[in-house]
Amino acid sequence: MSKVVVDAMAMQRALTRITYEIIERNKGVENVVILGIKTRGVYLAQRIANRLQQLENVVVPVGELDVTAYRDDISAEDRAKELSAGVISAESGFTIENKKVVLVDDVLYTGRTIRAAMSAVMDLGRPKSISLAVLVDRGHRELPIRADFVGKNIPSAQSERIKVSVSEIDGHDDVEIVHKSDRK
Amino acid sequence: MAERYLILEDGSSYRGEGFGAEATTTGELIYNTNLTGYQEVVTNQIYHNQIIIFSQPSIGNTGISHDAYESILPTAKGMVVRDVTNFSVDRSRRLTLDTYLKQHNIPGISGIDTRHLIRKLRDAGPMNGSIVAVDDAHAFDQLHATVLTNRQVAAVATPKPYPNPGTGYNVVVIDFGLKNGLLRQLSERRCNVTVVPWDTTAENILNLDPDGVILSSGPGSPMDLPQSVLEMIQVVEERIPLFAIGLGHELFGLANGANVVPLDAEYHGSSHPIRRIITNDIVFASQGQGYAVEAKSINRERLITTYVDLINGTVQGLRHRDFPAFSVQFFPDGGPGPDDNRDLFDEFMEIMGSREG
Repeated sequence: MSKVVVDAMAMQRALTRITYEIIERNKGVENVVILGIKTRGVYLAQRIANRLQQLENVVVPVGELDVTAYRDDISAEDRAKELSAGVISAESGFTIENKKVVLVDDVLYTGRTIRAAMSAVMDLGRPKSISLAVLVDRGHRELPIRADFVGKNIPSAQSERIKVSVSEIDGHDDVEIVHKSDRK
Repeated sequence: MAERYLILEDGSSYRGEGFGAEATTTGELIYNTNLTGYQEVVTNQIYHNQIIIFSQPSIGNTGISHDAYESILPTAKGMVVRDVTNFSVDRSRRLTLDTYLKQHNIPGISGIDTRHLIRKLRDAGPMNGSIVAVDDAHAFDQLHATVLTNRQVAAVATPKPYPNPGTGYNVVVIDFGLKNGLLRQLSERRCNVTVVPWDTTAENILNLDPDGVILSSGPGSPMDLPQSVLEMIQVVEERIPLFAIGLGHELFGLANGANVVPLDAEYHGSSHPIRRIITNDIVFASQGQGYAVEAKSINRERLITTYVDLINGTVQGLRHRDFPAFSVQFFPDGGPGPDDNRDLFDEFMEIMGSREG
């Protein structure tokens, strides 16, 4: 059994509001760079960047972050492999040095992914600040981490799964709650 | 029905047939190009002291419905139409547009070549007119001698606060002559609403501990309201999420340093494509405005333009850079016309919600 808790319209609205909040909080978009955490965070990051560009007529740099190498449950051997495959992909000239980094992910859950992302960012340079935008905050944190920009708070049971779909890869936009027992 | 005349400031006279009240009235002539929704239009308080010309040729053909009032006591000065139909949809089948206008002492005149009239007004700009029984020199003298009040907001807005209770967010609506559609949208979202008079102080508003504040639409020029209203907005916008509509949007612009200018011809309709800048797509909206926030006067350090009318280029939406405060010139509730923009109310709910956590 699954239930749609954020439909396409509400998802658009959430991204719109997050965009305005990013402008509010950063006093504009100067020195702002956006890092999408793969997979779906990347598409959300791109959409936020598109909105910022529409409003401010400025191209905000977007990077894709693969945090696998920084996960706390990865073996040293795999970590080396992942690191050599590259952590960040972005257009040349992309830098986080002294930038206001906005991390974007689809779901904030234990906080471990974000912890990994912060380590990855720190290894890449010294940003002026890091903030976090998530489409969904579902609770159950295992680390002292909170998001600065939240699309929707969805209090959930740990037996449930939050499934975010984005049209770029899933063909449609929504957020569903799926009961784990129904997973195939 | 009795022969009646619509006379204009430029000396012209249009003969037609009277319907509604037999009153003689004078008002500013404006035209409305909506295809539907004459009842919502005539009951909208932005038409205080105005005579409304309908470009849609057949008016009255959907009766008067209990769910389409935008105010209890309409204050428009008249309806000018090509054809009027007397049709009723109420339970007792007694209420037609004609009887409704009689109840509210608003005259109507039908059989007018509204296309000709609208073209004239489009070229000539704002003009007053009267609906009269005899178009003699005396009637024209009266028309020229009439000075319409500029205290329209005070005439239509509530003089006392009143509640529209709900169990959701605590929203304070500042009434400049609101249309019921606004309250309907808030009721639909279960808001606990307090409607307060337009001259309520910031302190009294904040004392109500609102989650959000709405500046309603209303009639007339924002420049006719005292400076104290702008000062109230400046205090409130820094502290509480703010959503402003119509006249409220114009005041929000003024309070943040922009100018508001009169349009060459008032625009009342819902056929203009409006660009939503953030997502670069098109929406349609029910619009009714005689003034607009002047684009070049907007301080970009303070405000972001969020919507633009693609026909006349007017600014249709603003957002504050530093606070969760935003505004639209058009009617987001529709009533009548497109409901494309009702989710602005959802956006407002979500803004109020995102401040809780």
